Amino acid sequence: MEDNPTSWFMRITVTILFLFLLAPVLLVFPISFSGDQILAFPPSSWSLRWYEALLGNNVMMSAFLTSLGLASVVTVLSLIIAIPASYAIVRLKVTGSEFLFNLFTAPLLLPTIVLGLAILIIFASMGLLATFTGLVIGHLVITLPYALRVLSVSLGNLSLACEEAASSLGAKPLAVFGKVTLPMMAPGIVAATALCFLVSFDEVVITLFLTGPRMTTLPVELFHHVESQADPLVASVSVLLILMTLAVVMIVDRTMGLTKAMASGRAVSMSTVADAT
Amino acid sequence: MMHQTIKRDGVETIGNPHLSLEGINKKYGLVEVISNLNLEVRKGELIALLGPSGCGKTTTLRMIAGLIAPSAGKIAVGGRDVTHIAPHGRDMGLVFQSYALFPHMTVAKNVAFGLEMRGLSRADIANKVAKALSMVQLEHLAERKPRELSGGQQQRVALARALVIEPSILLLDEPLSNLDAKLRDEMRTQIRDIQQQLGITTVFVTHDQVEALSMCDRIVVMKGGLIEQVGTPHEIYERPATPFVASFVGRTNRVKGKRTADGCIRIGSSMIRSATPAGQDDVVVMVRPHRIHIDWNATSTEQDETANRTAAVLSRITFIGDVIQYHFDVDGSEFIVEESTKKSQSSHRHGDKAVLSWSVEDTLVFGADQ
Repeated sequence: MEDNPTSWFMRITVTILFLFLLAPVLLVFPISFSGDQILAFPPSSWSLRWYEALLGNNVMMSAFLTSLGLASVVTVLSLIIAIPASYAIVRLKVTGSEFLFNLFTAPLLLPTIVLGLAILIIFASMGLLATFTGLVIGHLVITLPYALRVLSVSLGNLSLACEEAASSLGAKPLAVFGKVTLPMMAPGIVAATALCFLVSFDEVVITLFLTGPRMTTLPVELFHHVESQADPLVASVSVLLILMTLAVVMIVDRTMGLTKAMASGRAVSMSTVADAT
Repeated sequence: MMHQTIKRDGVETIGNPHLSLEGINKKYGLVEVISNLNLEVRKGELIALLGPSGCGKTTTLRMIAGLIAPSAGKIAVGGRDVTHIAPHGRDMGLVFQSYALFPHMTVAKNVAFGLEMRGLSRADIANKVAKALSMVQLEHLAERKPRELSGGQQQRVALARALVIEPSILLLDEPLSNLDAKLRDEMRTQIRDIQQQLGITTVFVTHDQVEALSMCDRIVVMKGGLIEQVGTPHEIYERPATPFVASFVGRTNRVKGKRTADGCIRIGSSMIRSATPAGQDDVVVMVRPHRIHIDWNATSTEQDETANRTAAVLSRITFIGDVIQYHFDVDGSEFIVEESTKKSQSSHRHGDKAVLSWSVEDTLVFGADQ
């Protein structure tokens, strides 16, 4: 690219923007190594005490494991439901598929807090509060719209010709799906997996209503901790959260290239954002 | 191999066809895209479905393949009714304009797909795949992915993939349209050679008259969901059944005329004759541009039994490399005449007078309302 004033202006603007967006996140790292008793920047001394405190904090650690397990189960279930659903909606065009699609994606339009409250009321009467099953169902409500949208777009962008070629070569419908459609959807599936995992792992608002002393997730426990105490433990927990997110992003990048995976999901997240606002 | 051709109810039938379409109808809602289509294809024949976009040629091909169901009618292959059989049970090889190779599989895996679906042994598959790839000269690319291949190579893989299952019918849907001109010429001969070598019955959909004329045994010219004419390339070109066929296949002059009491046709002040009778008063006369002879020195426009002659004034010259086009004015109607170019081209100018002559046999006459 030429070194004209516009490109320099662009570079500086982008750098400032990135700093603006990332500075608070980056700040968490030094604070997590603080030796102080209270949350402050810059720390007056350095230590690993808040990582030790985190490892010794049974509530935090069990909440982390719960979050990990929850996100994994929710992601797998989202894919198991959304893959056939997107196929029915995009390929089979079954009657009412448009309605189904809108129903699945409707939770994105509702204020999350209202959704959380509604789920709380129903789950209270069913005894699902503070149970793993309850959390899984609650999270599915918000991960399914993402999964369904990403997968529908990914499937919709596939040319029908490959599937037609496969069936003309003697493949029965199930073989066409398994050997041609599904492998060709791989980028969409990876994007949906990452999105579902991150959405579930980071979810706070709905989860707040569904957790209790018996069972809680890491973001919710972090939230509660900040409410009662102001020690740098939250910083070390945040680092843990950031590293998890980064790990997911890196796995996606390694398996297929982030840009490629997100390109199939990008249009989706854009329209999702537009819907949500 | 000669087949007797008989006319029955205006439909051309051939003895023992390999593929037959009977009374095929296709409606989308109220719109009829194919109406009462009847067609019979002999074993080993290469037949073209030729027409402009929207004429129903691809729809017809997709119905033969089983990808869409006809609203009415019957499709039979080798005497077996396949109208209601799913694509995977039809045993047809299909080649798409977009190649439609499986992007996640290697070339060899693509070609092997149909054989795997048929449950062949590994050794058989490897053997047949190698044979199919050598037929299209791509053995050396067996382990590549489709995206690493050029368009022409991809289309050859698609052809090998369709042929390796030894289908009863090969269906080609505009297979050459995405290739550049030079490659298209090569692929044309290659497809024809392979088709002849295997003796495989083939239906070829195209909008390109050159492809249809140069490759096929017979051509089906379609327009608006109807068959305009079925015939050999020679018949289609020399004896077009309708003005549409005459103008769609090859170039032609088209002028309006009036039939007179003695059977001649009046164009402006000129009188011409034709070999084909047309029953109406208002007619359209068509003559191929390269079948007209220009006599720059003659003045006589005397008619005789075999040739039509008319006086004309040169209005424009277009040079197109191997061909030069002269645009003549004949009493307000335009006639284009084509001649091959020579190095020492005699120079003619706007306003030059000449006499155009062409054989009565080359004069095609149609009713004006056709």
